[in-house]
Amino acid sequence: MTISFKEAVFLYCMKQIQNERSIYSLYHLFQGKKSSQTIQDAHLFRLDPFFQSYPQITREEMDHIIGVLHVNGYLHSISSEYYYLTEKGEKIVQSQNLISLPPKYLQGWKYHQITSVFWERLSLLVQVYSNLIYQNKGFIPIHNKPENLAWIKNYIKMQTGKRFELANDLYTELINCFQQDENIDPAVLTLRLTGHNKIGLTEGQAAEQLQMDSFHYHLEFLNILHYMIYISTNQYSKFPLLSGIIGNKPQTVPLTLSTEKTLRLLEKGFNTNEIARIRKLKESTIEDHIVEIALQVNDFDLRKYVSFEMEQRILTVTRETSAKKLSQIREKVPEANYFEIRLVLARNGGRPWN
Amino acid sequence: MELEKALYHYFQFTSFRQGQKEVVESILRGQNTLAMLPTGTGKSLCYQLPGYLLEGKVLIVSPLLSLMQDQVEQMKSMGEKRVIAINSFLSPAEKRKALSNLSSYKFIFVSPEMLGVDIILNKLREMTIALFVVDEAHCISQWGYDFRPDYLKIGEVREKLGAPLTIALTATATKEVREDIVKYLQFRSWEEFVFSVDRPEISIGIEILGHKEKQQKTLELVQKIKGPGIIYFSSKKLAESMAAKLRDQGERVMAYHGGLDTESRTLIQQQFIHNQLDIVCATSAFGMGINKDNVRFILHYHMPLQLEAYLQEIGRAGRDGKESIAILFYSPGDEQLSLQLTEGELPEKEQIHHLFMLIQQQNLKLENIHLESERFIPACGFSETQWRVVESFLASMQNENVQEVRDQLLNYVTKRIRLKQQKVYRVLDYIQHSGCKREYILDYFDDQGSSAKKNCCSSCGLALEDFYGSKAEEMEPNLRYNWKKDLASMLIKQVGDLHEKRPIS
Ligand SMILES: [Zn+2]
Repeated sequence: MTISFKEAVFLYCMKQIQNERSIYSLYHLFQGKKSSQTIQDAHLFRLDPFFQSYPQITREEMDHIIGVLHVNGYLHSISSEYYYLTEKGEKIVQSQNLISLPPKYLQGWKYHQITSVFWERLSLLVQVYSNLIYQNKGFIPIHNKPENLAWIKNYIKMQTGKRFELANDLYTELINCFQQDENIDPAVLTLRLTGHNKIGLTEGQAAEQLQMDSFHYHLEFLNILHYMIYISTNQYSKFPLLSGIIGNKPQTVPLTLSTEKTLRLLEKGFNTNEIARIRKLKESTIEDHIVEIALQVNDFDLRKYVSFEMEQRILTVTRETSAKKLSQIREKVPEANYFEIRLVLARNGGRPWN
Repeated sequence: MELEKALYHYFQFTSFRQGQKEVVESILRGQNTLAMLPTGTGKSLCYQLPGYLLEGKVLIVSPLLSLMQDQVEQMKSMGEKRVIAINSFLSPAEKRKALSNLSSYKFIFVSPEMLGVDIILNKLREMTIALFVVDEAHCISQWGYDFRPDYLKIGEVREKLGAPLTIALTATATKEVREDIVKYLQFRSWEEFVFSVDRPEISIGIEILGHKEKQQKTLELVQKIKGPGIIYFSSKKLAESMAAKLRDQGERVMAYHGGLDTESRTLIQQQFIHNQLDIVCATSAFGMGINKDNVRFILHYHMPLQLEAYLQEIGRAGRDGKESIAILFYSPGDEQLSLQLTEGELPEKEQIHHLFMLIQQQNLKLENIHLESERFIPACGFSETQWRVVESFLASMQNENVQEVRDQLLNYVTKRIRLKQQKVYRVLDYIQHSGCKREYILDYFDDQGSSAKKNCCSSCGLALEDFYGSKAEEMEPNLRYNWKKDLASMLIKQVGDLHEKRPIS
């Protein structure tokens, strides 16, 4: 019995979280829930590329996937929500076709706010330019959110070149962009585009055309969008049209609303305890917020909450034992509390967040 | 000024379609007008052309957001920029912006619930409304198949706007419904144009067959019959599974239903219009506002819920005036599913009780309920259709007493279910009717103008073979997809490429 691509991806993620989190933490991850817990977990377990990469997921589907993996002997259950990989499961994750997980350019967390905007604007742009050069006025825009239509009007107005040349320039930028990594298959994207005499394919149709598993296609599509965002924003002088699509949309990730409020109070000099009282929240919730701030705000000073010395000791333990479980770390540094450990991990946990 | 000249000037058409000229002339004479024009005969031209010729704004009340959006897109795609839709799609900021610029628009579409908002109404009162358009006017009648209680307010709003010149448009309205329209719009004098709902170019077939045969029959029929076509289902799941089976059979087909994301829905619609798809397996969500001339067949896999909807759906065939066919498959007992669906469209007793309990607990004002839809829909487990019924009912109420309103709503729902069930049985009666199907429909709409012709209906005699077509010509060589070529064909204008047919792979 072979498992589907989707199941394999979830198996990979299960491996990443070990048995430290419930399966629903993955549900929140794929859905893209903006809670402190989900955001921290994403980074702690290096699953941030998958953040909000499958917002359509339902709890039922999550249960189903885990059920299939369990029944077929890839997962062993500890309780109804906690599982770890069996030997069979480990083998699958290490096998050839999963080595590429996560997809090379997938940056769910980093780009989740601009992914769909980028796609909608790009496809509109291609459609509008294509119809422009063929002088075809009567077409129905493929994405009709008023804000996108307003944006495109403005965008075209701001371009100084001739209209024919603009389409040409866009073509050149796209070709140049795609050619920077030969492992990228541009068809994943171009099949979906709509032009003056061709309507783009839906996600399902494109997957079928490329004979790809539909979830595999889904991730590859996000992958190529993130690739394009990455290439064009890093070399914006070379890709003025593409990077212009993103414009000055915020690329840095904002804090969740509740955390934002806590940060403002922190800046006014209130301490954790006081903020909890003012906001009528549990102190542990405020601590969650502070961990999220440590994760997001690079110049946020941790010294108020954890000493330099303590930070170093926690870091040494994590490095030497590759312990990731909070309880394991705590065993080795008993004088640290969980809050301190989480703060240190948040600040130093994995790759740079942004 | 000659009307034909204006028609050409604004629409590049050289002649009117049936009924359009009479209706336009009536409006230009300053007469309130009620016009019943069959689907696909260009209803919107009836207000757009006079709109251009009259000084002032054209205010169009339209019940369905998607329909409204489609119409706005279409007008924009024809180059009309002074058109805007005010509905709940707009964010508060967009709404504010739209309102402050309102005077710069010529055509203003508005949903009935927006007419209840004072700021909007006041803004509209400041302007000269040259023409007030009530689209889908049958929604005003409780005898109509798609009654919307908030449509009842339109008459009052119209008075507040100074009773401007008004046109009420509908595609399907029985005599009772037409009387209601006139009554509720408070017309004192008016002209009525009722054009035959008969579409002689559409042949009507009803086939009674066993449950197990349906699927096989569909697969066979689609193979033989000339497309493009639409197959209507009452369930998303069946639409999907049939689409998959037809695809295996080599058809270019997709399923279309409300469960798809917006992008897919737009793409599938457009693919169908651009002949990239031959068949759409759809639920009733599909077809509204679709302009496709060459649909050759409509197949009903399940019986529709009312004759009015049936007429609308089969009316999507043959808009180019060429021979087309509508076939309905019926298996004994199908009406049970219809009856179930009918009930599902309306909120359940328990849901209503729960909703009003929440309203009372939280001490909410009835007129503010529509602002809280995001909360109430999941809390009471309403479907979108169910919520629309509740919302529309509450919007029509002026009573402040929560208890009373609840009981009125319960009462109302019971009545609606009864009415809708009657409509299901009417469809069943139509299916089982042994006489001419066309005459039956015309009779239902008090329409006299029947036109006997060849292949009229399955009762009068129908040769299905006449609708068969060959598929061979449609097959295109299956070239390997080349992304660079595809991109180039979209963005680089190739000389002489304009008419060359490019394989869509
Ligand atoms: Zn007949």
